[in-house]
Amino acid sequence: MNIAATPRYACGRLESSVLAKLGMLALAVISPPAGAATAASRPSPPAHSALTASDSALHVLQRFAYGPRAGQVAEVAREGALAWLDSQLAADGRDDPRLAAIERRTPALALDPEDWARRFAAARRAKREGMAGEERAEVRELTGQVRALVIARAVTAEDQLREVMAGFWFDHFNVFLDKGADRYLLPGYVEDVIRPRALGRFEDLLLATAQSPAMLFYLDNVKSVAPGMQPARRGDPAKPARRPVGINENYARELLELHTLGVDGGYTQQDVIAVARILTGWSMQPPAQGGAFVFRPRAHDFGEKVVLGARFPAGHGEEEGVRLLRMLARHPATIRHVCEKLCARFVSDQPPDGCVDAAVGAWRASDGDMRAVVRAIARTPEFWDEQAIGSKVKTPLEFVVSAVRAVGAEPDSGARLADAVARLGQPIYRQASPAGYPERQEDWANSGALLARMNFAVALAAGRQPGASVDLDAILPVTIENSALVDAVNERVLGGAMSAHTRSVIVAELADVPDPVRGRALAVGLALGSPEFQRQ
Amino acid sequence: MKLSRRAFLRAGGLAMVSYGLDPLFLARAVYAKPGASSRGRVLVCLFQRGAVDGLSMLVPHGDARYYKERPNIAIPEASVIDLDGRFGFHPALAPLKPLWDAGQLAPIHAIGSPDPTRSHFDAQDYMESGTPGVKSTSDGWLNRFCQHQREHEQTPFRAVSFGPELPRILAGSAPSLAIGDLRAFGLRAPNDAARDRLTRAFEALYEKAPTGLLASSAQEGFEAANTLRRIEPDRYQPEHDARYPNGRFGQSLLQIAQLIKADVGLEIAFADVSGWDTHVNQGAAQGQLATRLGDFAQALAAFAQDLGERMNDVVLVTCSEFGRTIAENGSVGTDHGRATAMMVMGGAVKGGRVLGRWPGLEPAARFEGRDLAVTTDFRDLFAELLDRHLGAGSLDAVFPGRTADPTRYLGALRT
Repeated sequence: MNIAATPRYACGRLESSVLAKLGMLALAVISPPAGAATAASRPSPPAHSALTASDSALHVLQRFAYGPRAGQVAEVAREGALAWLDSQLAADGRDDPRLAAIERRTPALALDPEDWARRFAAARRAKREGMAGEERAEVRELTGQVRALVIARAVTAEDQLREVMAGFWFDHFNVFLDKGADRYLLPGYVEDVIRPRALGRFEDLLLATAQSPAMLFYLDNVKSVAPGMQPARRGDPAKPARRPVGINENYARELLELHTLGVDGGYTQQDVIAVARILTGWSMQPPAQGGAFVFRPRAHDFGEKVVLGARFPAGHGEEEGVRLLRMLARHPATIRHVCEKLCARFVSDQPPDGCVDAAVGAWRASDGDMRAVVRAIARTPEFWDEQAIGSKVKTPLEFVVSAVRAVGAEPDSGARLADAVARLGQPIYRQASPAGYPERQEDWANSGALLARMNFAVALAAGRQPGASVDLDAILPVTIENSALVDAVNERVLGGAMSAHTRSVIVAELADVPDPVRGRALAVGLALGSPEFQRQ
Repeated sequence: MKLSRRAFLRAGGLAMVSYGLDPLFLARAVYAKPGASSRGRVLVCLFQRGAVDGLSMLVPHGDARYYKERPNIAIPEASVIDLDGRFGFHPALAPLKPLWDAGQLAPIHAIGSPDPTRSHFDAQDYMESGTPGVKSTSDGWLNRFCQHQREHEQTPFRAVSFGPELPRILAGSAPSLAIGDLRAFGLRAPNDAARDRLTRAFEALYEKAPTGLLASSAQEGFEAANTLRRIEPDRYQPEHDARYPNGRFGQSLLQIAQLIKADVGLEIAFADVSGWDTHVNQGAAQGQLATRLGDFAQALAAFAQDLGERMNDVVLVTCSEFGRTIAENGSVGTDHGRATAMMVMGGAVKGGRVLGRWPGLEPAARFEGRDLAVTTDFRDLFAELLDRHLGAGSLDAVFPGRTADPTRYLGALRT
């Protein structure tokens, strides 16, 4: 075990007390394999105290995975938390038969962008003719599959980090399923733009989103033309204006504010306008022609522009946009902004400077390689600080997926789990705001939604949640020893996070439940609905 | 519960401080006024999603150009319910005429967003975020009002949306509830005994949650569920022979009236209704749109009837993301336009008048030569209601980018 023995700190400005603390933590993390195994099998270690091997395992599984599968904490504790993370970082399309089976049973995945465009056009025709036609039902069914796939992949995939990062980037480069052409453009955006680059270089991701019809349509860049230019032809999805119009600043503004520099990134309204002018002509083909990205020189503004003090001389076309995006991807404000978001996701809602500095350092050293950045964040003292552990409230998606994983349930191919996530307040692919879904606990600890989480927890444990089949026999014994049962629930379902208070409440509730099968379901339902399980 | 609620809140608040989390929660405990009367003023906001045709709701029947532009779908002069000689109601809005006559209702014409988008998605988003043209606003204006207007009685029912999901307009850090059905809110169980048991168990679990926010939110949820059980929503009978139409929207208004009468501290209520995107076969005095409008008017009229005297505490406002083209299209419908019509209703409303400045239908007066121009920024109407009805103190924070200016108010309310 040497994985954490020499952690790299890109910032290199650690106080000695912090270092001492880290040393202790590192010792805990790299406790010898035999010790790790016994730690994992010990009944209910007190949560949030010294980090045992299984506490460390739970922490990395809560942040870099969608929570532990039933029993996975012990496995990762044996392997070592950071060793597990390294294997996730190294993973490169490993064999994953269960995931492959899920992808095979999803016909929507077999469609290419042209197929989607054709079906969308047919559905649109049907709508215009006032028919509740089969075409519309088909598109609904296909988008249902696409939403269901998010859950099934997050639950099943061995490469959990890839799923987590794909989710992070989708939110960062959010697109809204219900805006016009994005109904058919979104699936390709997810499969071809986001997922392949989830653990790649930021610059590649930024360029790919900037050249994706889904984004250009969503943020209206398809409507943005040089002043005085003829707009796109009629029948084009980019058509709404009937006469020549000017630039549309939407994409330019969000590109600077959300995707790259950040709201305090030091740009001006003049920069927004210049960026919009540079990106005029970045557009898409009509759906009938496949809906692909296209650069339209006729709509492009070939004049001179200045962005953040950098001159973009007159006479350049598509390539000046590429130059701009590369410049933005490397801008210090961008690196800081995106690293802060990553640390908010992985460390805490208001991440301390130390981990952000480490992430920035790794970014610079690796030219924005996300594997290096994630690796660095996981090796900061802030990540392992007891203030960080269990400090984040799960989003509804994280809650549902982690619950399904915790009880070893199998999601079916329908959208009912996705619908459950929507009812908890996070409809998948339906966040209208380009800021994506928020990360802070204030946005998710809503009282009605919390009660709905408890209902979901109880229903899932009782096998009554549509969309997931649960077999508690596979993870827990049927026993009349309530105390032993609750210990097993803590270890197998909560990964050891159960507080003494929760334990005593559940044991007390079980006292007058004569049927051990019902008692087991109640114990699991209460555990999944407990405050501990809402956190990660 | 072993701790009193206030002590509990305080403990939660201190825990929050030590965890260095958002102070808003603390502020909630500090500013709450537990002793205050729970019979307060209410703002009800109703969203007609899909862009309602304002020119059919509030017909400019005095303008010949209206009839010229809409040969098939104009409301015939004989069917229009005249209001002031120039404008009249669609005949399907007949249930609202008594409210107009009583001076409790005022329509506003040519109102809308300063942002010219004709995308439903963008325009709804702007109307709910309250920041037209700025897409990255993360919360809604009704939530921002609650965030900045903290002096309110402590209740989980301050801001309630009727529907399965919390809408954008109420999204944000101030607590708000989404209720699909008052009768089904709370923990689900096969029978009362099982539900009581689950409630007791979960209450016990959250009583000692390690930080304040989860615990207090759960507590608010249980409190709301308990309150709702006490007021027995399934036994509610509307008063004064009010008849709500069937369907989700009518039931939403019924439930809003019920919560208002239950004195649970409701201040902001929101509900929406879709089906206004009439591109095809819109109809005229009768037809698709007429049916929708009839249902809509019946629900509003039933609400006012049901509340009776209590309407003195209530202001209701309707809104829609934009209006529709002045001219009818090739499929006997209308396409996406600019300005639309909205309505305010309530005891405090200075009604019986059509509000707003009418830009006219002449091509030169139109937006892009095509659509009814916007002469009233929707934020000025909402700001007036928040200011004059709910006593909002910080409108600049509710509508950033639109400096509050009472001289722009329409005078919709008695002062």
